[in-house]
Amino acid sequence: MPSLEVQIGSLRLKNPVMAAAGTFGFGQEYREFFDISALGAICAKTVTLRARTGNPPPRLWETPCGLLNSIGLENPGIETFLKEELPKMRKLGTVIVASIWGEEPGDYGALAAAVDKADVEAIELNVSCPNVPGKGFVGAQAGFTADVVRSARAATTKPLWVKLAPEGEVLAAALAAQEAGAQALCIANTFRAMAIDISTGRPVFANVLAGLSGPAIKPLALRWVYELFPRVEVPLIASGGITTWQDAVEFIMAGARAVQVGTGNFVDPLCTLTMVEGLKKFLEERNLECWEVIRGCAHRR
Amino acid sequence: MPELKVVRAPVAENREVAPGVFLLRLEGRFVAEPGQFFMLRAWERDPLLARPMSVFDLSPQALAFLYAVRGRGTALLANLRLGDQVKLWGPLGQGWKRVPGRIALVGGGMGLAPLLWTAKQFGSPLDVYLGFRHRPWMVEVFRSLADHVHVRSEVGAPGCTQGLVTEAFSPRGYAACYACGPKPLLLELHRMCQEAEVPLYVSLEERMACGVGACLGCTVWTRSGPKRVCSDGPVFPAAEVFFDALP
Ligand SMILES: Cc1cc2nc3c(=O)[nH]c(=O)nc-3n(C[C@H](O)[C@H](O)[C@H](O)COP(=O)(O)OP(=O)(O)OC[C@H]3O[C@@H](n4cnc5c(N)ncnc54)[C@H](O)[C@@H]3O)c2cc1C
Ligand SMILES: Cc1cc2nc3c(=O)[nH]c(=O)nc-3n(C[C@H](O)[C@H](O)[C@H](O)COP(=O)(O)O)c2cc1C
Ligand code: FES
Repeated sequence: MPSLEVQIGSLRLKNPVMAAAGTFGFGQEYREFFDISALGAICAKTVTLRARTGNPPPRLWETPCGLLNSIGLENPGIETFLKEELPKMRKLGTVIVASIWGEEPGDYGALAAAVDKADVEAIELNVSCPNVPGKGFVGAQAGFTADVVRSARAATTKPLWVKLAPEGEVLAAALAAQEAGAQALCIANTFRAMAIDISTGRPVFANVLAGLSGPAIKPLALRWVYELFPRVEVPLIASGGITTWQDAVEFIMAGARAVQVGTGNFVDPLCTLTMVEGLKKFLEERNLECWEVIRGCAHRR
Repeated sequence: MPELKVVRAPVAENREVAPGVFLLRLEGRFVAEPGQFFMLRAWERDPLLARPMSVFDLSPQALAFLYAVRGRGTALLANLRLGDQVKLWGPLGQGWKRVPGRIALVGGGMGLAPLLWTAKQFGSPLDVYLGFRHRPWMVEVFRSLADHVHVRSEVGAPGCTQGLVTEAFSPRGYAACYACGPKPLLLELHRMCQEAEVPLYVSLEERMACGVGACLGCTVWTRSGPKRVCSDGPVFPAAEVFFDALP
């Protein structure tokens, strides 16, 4: 029997397939479709110190093999998340990762302190949301990332993962996060992109820029995982256009320890479940004991 | 326990019933409340997302949708042949609940799609008001279900009174009204129903990705904060969603 398990820092997952933050709510919606305990982990919707109502509609725009979103971190706030959503999430039977976002590094510390006492296995620091208005988000920033991780590190003993943007100082931010105590890096969030509604001649989104996800970004995300793998020591968690088990294998071969599925859930609510089954078959048919055999194999010369 | 299934169903019928409007019947055993919808896809990866479609009709053997060809997705649906497979999941969303007493169903154009199954389930006493831009279509199926069917054509059509559906309609005497159609129609109905103090329930459309409440992409602002059209709706009390619409 091959083992699908993966080790992310101090955390062991039953398989490398996770639901990505913001695409799986707090897990309750997809529970109607399948037994969520089949997944390696689920990342909760990103929460903030106070509730946020998010961006005005429209928030979605389909593109060729992609999806633009401008949700703007609509969420009930950390307190409601911990009190009302987390207890329900705990019943899903898998690892729960909390995702947090703040305006200042100190916000991450405050959020991490609140999560520290809660029953979650890890915290993902979202320093890569392109959709929060008025912040002039410019992609990954090494200095800011280091401050955020330090602030959170001081507030909790839980494993910290850092979710990076796929543009800006990506490598420097990855190294800074690792240096400041991140146990894993998630690469990456959505790409900043836009659309124009030709019937009005105006940008579709009130914020102009939105985040591009889906199969359209898969080769771009793959490139980042491949480039970071030889340069960082902590495990890499891939995110970006992963919708099939073949995609997942590709990212593992590039060096990823695990994968997150976002837009794929919208394409098919059973996307992650089918992926887990496909990966299991893949290991069996190839007669592979575990993922270590192929992880990063694309780098071998 | 999981309750929603993602299924593949064969096409039993896909027929153009009016210019650019198709009736798609899928074989299988389904359930749905009036006003609920399904997410449909009949293609692999492109377009990326499934398309939301209201339940038009339901029988023990089949589920029917009525759709207008708008863009790539609905054009692909229009090409489906007998026996082709459609992937779908549902029923989704909160439909409408019947209020006791005489009710009115009002549909503008494609907005009539969710009204047939509603009329069948709700039953008499019930009147139907349908508005079209040009020549009316799909009117006959409502005749045996409603006490009165009022039809209007904006530009006029043979055998059909010219005018707006709102000119044929008055909320007075109804216990509640249920409407689906273009936003200006819904707003006008809201104004009329507010004045007459008759509750109005509207079915809204927003762009959707997940269709199940997970992505927060279909949010509308309501009197009680942001709500998801796909899972808190698509049916809302008009006063909840058009709270800032009246002067
Ligand atoms: C709850 C609900 C029920 C619906 N029921 C019906 C129905 O019974 N019959 C019917 O003809 N149409 C219905 N619609 C509208 C239908 O979903 C769109 O016309 C369809 O998605 C257009 O897809 P397309 O690929 O042809 O167009 P495109 O313009 O290529 O679509 C591009 C994107 O925009 C979205 N989109 C475009 N128009 C709309 C719209 N009006 N509402 C929501 N999303 C849109 C598409 O889903 C897609 O993501 C419903 C919409 C919703 C939200
Ligand atoms: C609708 C939507 C909402 C998202 N919300 C969040 C979020 O709250 N926090 C976050 O870290 N990432 C968020 N993301 C990014 C995804 O988690 C994921 O990293 C990204 O979409 C790329 O993966 P994909 O191509 O598989 O979707 C969101 C993406 C989408 C499409
Ligand atoms: S479409 Fe995803 S929440 Fe409504």
